[in-house]
Amino acid sequence: MTNKFFQLIGGDADIGSSKLFWIGFVIVVVLFCLYPTQVSEFRASNVAYYLLNIPLGLGIALLWGYCGVLSFGHVAYFGIAGYTYGIIAGNMAGNAYGPMVGVLGGLVASIIVAGVFAYFVFYARVREWIIPILTLVLTLILETFLGQTAGYQWRVGSVLLGGYNGMTGIPAFQIGSFVFMGYSFYYFCLIIVLACYVGLRMLLNSNFGQVVIAIREDPLRTEMLGYDIRARQWLVFVLSAVLASVSGLLYVQWGQYITPSQVGLYAAALPIIWAAVGGRTSLLAVVIATIVLNWVTYTLSSQGNQAAMVIIGTALVVTMLFFPRGIVIMVAEWLGQISNRNKPVDKVSAHE
Amino acid sequence: MSNGIALETRGVNKRFGGVVAANDVNLRVESGELRCIIGPNGAGKSTLFALLCGIQRADSGQIFIHEHDVTRMQQFKRVRLGVGLTFQTNRAYQELSVKQNLAIPNPGLSHTSERHELAKERLEIALNGFDLDPQDETIAGELPHHKLQWLEISMVLAGYPDLVLIDEPTAGMSRDETDRTADILKELNANGLTIIVVEHDIHFVKSVAQKVTVLHQGKIFMEGNVADVTADEEVKKIYLGHAH
Repeated sequence: MTNKFFQLIGGDADIGSSKLFWIGFVIVVVLFCLYPTQVSEFRASNVAYYLLNIPLGLGIALLWGYCGVLSFGHVAYFGIAGYTYGIIAGNMAGNAYGPMVGVLGGLVASIIVAGVFAYFVFYARVREWIIPILTLVLTLILETFLGQTAGYQWRVGSVLLGGYNGMTGIPAFQIGSFVFMGYSFYYFCLIIVLACYVGLRMLLNSNFGQVVIAIREDPLRTEMLGYDIRARQWLVFVLSAVLASVSGLLYVQWGQYITPSQVGLYAAALPIIWAAVGGRTSLLAVVIATIVLNWVTYTLSSQGNQAAMVIIGTALVVTMLFFPRGIVIMVAEWLGQISNRNKPVDKVSAHE
Repeated sequence: MSNGIALETRGVNKRFGGVVAANDVNLRVESGELRCIIGPNGAGKSTLFALLCGIQRADSGQIFIHEHDVTRMQQFKRVRLGVGLTFQTNRAYQELSVKQNLAIPNPGLSHTSERHELAKERLEIALNGFDLDPQDETIAGELPHHKLQWLEISMVLAGYPDLVLIDEPTAGMSRDETDRTADILKELNANGLTIIVVEHDIHFVKSVAQKVTVLHQGKIFMEGNVADVTADEEVKKIYLGHAH
């Protein structure tokens, strides 16, 4: 049982399976756990923002990197979950269970939209290259719709959708009477991100995940081995939409507001860039790129620097030209080669 | 072996614009047969395979696999009736390891007959005969061409089919490799596997086939044993391009 567990975590669906890697992994996690004890609540909260974007990036890695389907509009599910949470938790303000119901409602709303959309896309066997366009159109329609919801006629219960100014005063997450703010919200994000990473890594090392990778490599060959690839693609699409929703929920709980620009073109491009720059075929690479690129964007834009978009765009172009499989992946491979070169009798070490 | 019909088509037609790829094809393959389908380029051999598997839909006519009418059935469901297909251009997963290639097919998906043990034996025959190791971590794309062909045949067998359609397995192989492929296919057939092979290599056809079907311009031109077919003057004319 535990053996099977370690096989699933340690399998080669993601970079890093050596003992050294896992020691480093644990050290980094411990450092992330200790970080809030060394910094102000404000700084911890900033880092929580970088963390809360990771599930969205992982969703793109799962769908695009591992299943070969590019969605240019996964922020739609980020937004649907965020807005739904705002509506439900806002209307239940004062009720300790409000945020929990809001989380559930947000996830259900996203799953329904993603499920219906993906049904038509995959069961109609829509060509692969059309899917990015369809997904982008969906999120832009959502942005346009939300943008014109200014005014009191767009009130759901006691919550205003708020047009381009967005929805404000969204309640923070709470369990019982414990409200997740500042430091506690940081740990909340950290636990969720770890769970998403480990869970996905296990999924992709499982038989299910191997078939998902096979679909990416050759859909027709995989179908001709007896797999209903439509059903698998549908499931992976919905699962990645759930991951995007997790980020959307954490985002509104973190900032307590959301605007239509969160589902706009710029926001839609960002997770694609995180995945491309880090390397979409590795979960860990996307995690690292998400943290670093969010840190860069956040730091630059909080200094009033308008160049953030230009720098992120440049990072994408440089990646495409010089690191086509992703910077983190190619660095990891390079490190792997170095450590192999330092082990001249690698036949002996392979027998350990 | 049971004497059921593994595969049957009744009046199957398929056109691509003005090109007739299948013209009233009535094919009948018994369980346990090793059938070769030959014909010049463009005779409709690969299209016939695509129609049988559901990659293409017939314009008219009916297709039966193990006496199930599969004419309107999705391709993955046909596979689950116990059919395996290798493609004309090799489609093993070149970026994945040999181990992964052989682990991805799921025997549980194919029809659950009492013949599972037999299917397992066949896979063993192929793996031993083709010298493939299911634990091999080598990336498939690094294998030589003939090994890749053998890998795809083994992958298909790892799904435990009892009817396999093999499209030009020996194209690009050396004489030795072709002979080895023929030997293994004959051994698999002796074990009860029904095999239909599309092939150009007459030497190969002569060494494996029990019965040969000649396709020409989408039509079944002739059917019979190897000696008769290869000796036939009309067949020579269309297939070997001998204008008399």
